[in-house]
Amino acid sequence: MVSPVLLIVIPLGLAFCVPLIGMVSKRFARFVPVVACLFNLVVSVQLLPAVLSKPIVVDLGGFGAPFSINLFVGPVGILFSLLIALAGFVVSLYALAYIDKGPTTRYHTLYLLLLVGATGVVLTGDVFNLFVFFEILCISSYVLVAYRGDKDGVESAVKYLIQGALGSALLLTGIGLLYGLFGTLNMAHIAVQAGSADPIPLFVAMALIVVGLGVEAAIFPLNAWLPDAHSSAPSSISAILSGIAIEVGLYAVVRMVFTVFGASSMLSFLMFLGVLTLLVGELCAFAQSNIKRMLAYSSIGQIGLIIFAIAIATSGSITGGFFQLVSHTLSKALLFLAAGYMIYRSGSMDISSLEGMGKRMPLTAFAFAVGAFSLVGLPPFAGFPSKLLIIRGALADGGALLALLVGLVLLGTVIEGAYFFRVIQTVFFKKGDGETARCEAPAIALVSMFVLVALIIVIGVYPSLIIGVLNSAASELLVRADYIGRVLG
Amino acid sequence: MRSIAIIILLAIVAVGIGVALMAIPFGVAKTQVGDHYTESGIGDTGASNIVTSVVVGYRAFDTLGEITILFVAAMGLGAVLAGGRKLGQRRDVEPASLILRTGCRFLFPLLLLFGAYIFIHGHLTPGGGFQGGAVIASAFLLVYLSCPGRRVSKVWSQTTESLGALTFVVLGLVGLTVGGHYYLSSFMPHGVVNELFSAGIIPVIYVAIGLKVGSDLTGIIDGMMEETI
Repeated sequence: MVSPVLLIVIPLGLAFCVPLIGMVSKRFARFVPVVACLFNLVVSVQLLPAVLSKPIVVDLGGFGAPFSINLFVGPVGILFSLLIALAGFVVSLYALAYIDKGPTTRYHTLYLLLLVGATGVVLTGDVFNLFVFFEILCISSYVLVAYRGDKDGVESAVKYLIQGALGSALLLTGIGLLYGLFGTLNMAHIAVQAGSADPIPLFVAMALIVVGLGVEAAIFPLNAWLPDAHSSAPSSISAILSGIAIEVGLYAVVRMVFTVFGASSMLSFLMFLGVLTLLVGELCAFAQSNIKRMLAYSSIGQIGLIIFAIAIATSGSITGGFFQLVSHTLSKALLFLAAGYMIYRSGSMDISSLEGMGKRMPLTAFAFAVGAFSLVGLPPFAGFPSKLLIIRGALADGGALLALLVGLVLLGTVIEGAYFFRVIQTVFFKKGDGETARCEAPAIALVSMFVLVALIIVIGVYPSLIIGVLNSAASELLVRADYIGRVLG
Repeated sequence: MRSIAIIILLAIVAVGIGVALMAIPFGVAKTQVGDHYTESGIGDTGASNIVTSVVVGYRAFDTLGEITILFVAAMGLGAVLAGGRKLGQRRDVEPASLILRTGCRFLFPLLLLFGAYIFIHGHLTPGGGFQGGAVIASAFLLVYLSCPGRRVSKVWSQTTESLGALTFVVLGLVGLTVGGHYYLSSFMPHGVVNELFSAGIIPVIYVAIGLKVGSDLTGIIDGMMEETI
């Protein structure tokens, strides 16, 4: 069996090769991310059955559990690494055509390193190692937001950099306190001792870590950077930031709260925060006239929904939350990719400038519609079973408070429907006064979009395909003792 | 109003960290992990410098991540500076004085030698790849100050950067396949402690890191200098 560490080091090694290959030929360099993501996709799929039957713990350096760093490849880790490889693969295909100007070698190196950082965060079992990979992820996304070098891009990248750096500083302080308290950085080793520790310093450490990670996870009120950054980045990067980066931030928060601290008292707070994030995101999205800002705010809303579902902390609701996460990654990536070429052709990010795009670029517009319908939660797309699962999971518990929160979530979905249908109406049913000639997106970009369309429909029609993985992921989060036992033996 | 809110928020954070620090004993050797490092660090890794045995032995994977961060940061700075540069705005620079030029010419090889000494002896004496790399970069900084027209070749610095990092990754992979079957396991013989050729793969990794960090930081200096000239 292949070692899961290859999921991190092969793309990392390839990323270091990109500048060398770029010196010989820029045309070859852009294929490296495609190859790396394909490799990760194949290895993740290959590892899946073994991981589902028994999580794999990889010792790095071979000194034994608390002394050296280890990877923990459980259902959650493999689910995320699959998603990252999949989204990364599709977006790197799209970028073959889309990224044609500027320092392209740099783009491809940083893009691949962003994915390496994300994969490292989700697979590691060590808090400081998590911080290191988190920094790789964050710093490469700051740079990629500024890739075009225009004033908007650089300005929003600097905003993102300042807020992200502040978050990282808080995270590092929290990790330092943890190390002071327990003298170890291994997640399982901390988790064992967390129960008997002095609650006040433990709470301070947890607050610092959750706030620090919350900046990247775009939890309200720490998400002021997101609309600017996601809207002024190149569309391929917006797709990855919305589809992967904030989800990975969310993963880190969840892993800390559930596994490391086992803080069940924190969950009801997170639940409220989730609903608040959802409503704020959807309401702001409704008010936007810029398509990419609208999609960015909608990501905030979706993240709120996922946090809400996971914080309910029943097996059913966490499964629903993870399902929503998968469907959001696929749909939001699709929306940004489709919007990318519509914006490119119309020359403006205004929603009103997309009039008549249904005629000019029918396939791209169709892909956009599929993404929008899936995000709103219409059958037969992936968003439908996910929202259904969340609501079923939330109502299964019965409390009146949860029912009220579910009402608010449904209200958020209605708002979401309203602004997406407005865009769909503009794209398909309003006649543009300008050009009418067909100008479809390039073939390779269409291929990447239709891979996502196919996945959204297949998962929407056969949700049982992924439910098994999601269920084991949910139980990995809920049964802490298993995680600890697996690592410390 | 806003500044009051900020002050209150900062006070809460400060009090929180203060309270947490009160509860954490300082200077007490009580941790299992730390004790293990000091007691069996030399035996496990063969490096007589305990800090090195942690940085490139027990937690080498972190170090791989850290050099990647430096790589991303250097590349990112290059990208941002290249984006903001306006062509044809070169100012004339006053040439450096004779004293500065002569001094730099004298110091440059010594600094290179010193930097190389620091990273080659990283497993024996205080220092290591990052520190040695910084010293090497400072040698190039002196050249930039004394001869404003001179440039380090971009091709060379980029090649060193990539090859240094690749060496680290590949050494880890070799460890995965031949020795011990752990990524980054020390597959080379540990040798006699305190000798130059000891501590398995640690000196090899430190040489790679030293060259890589040196060219990374030189690249950063190069980018910044181009901005001012």
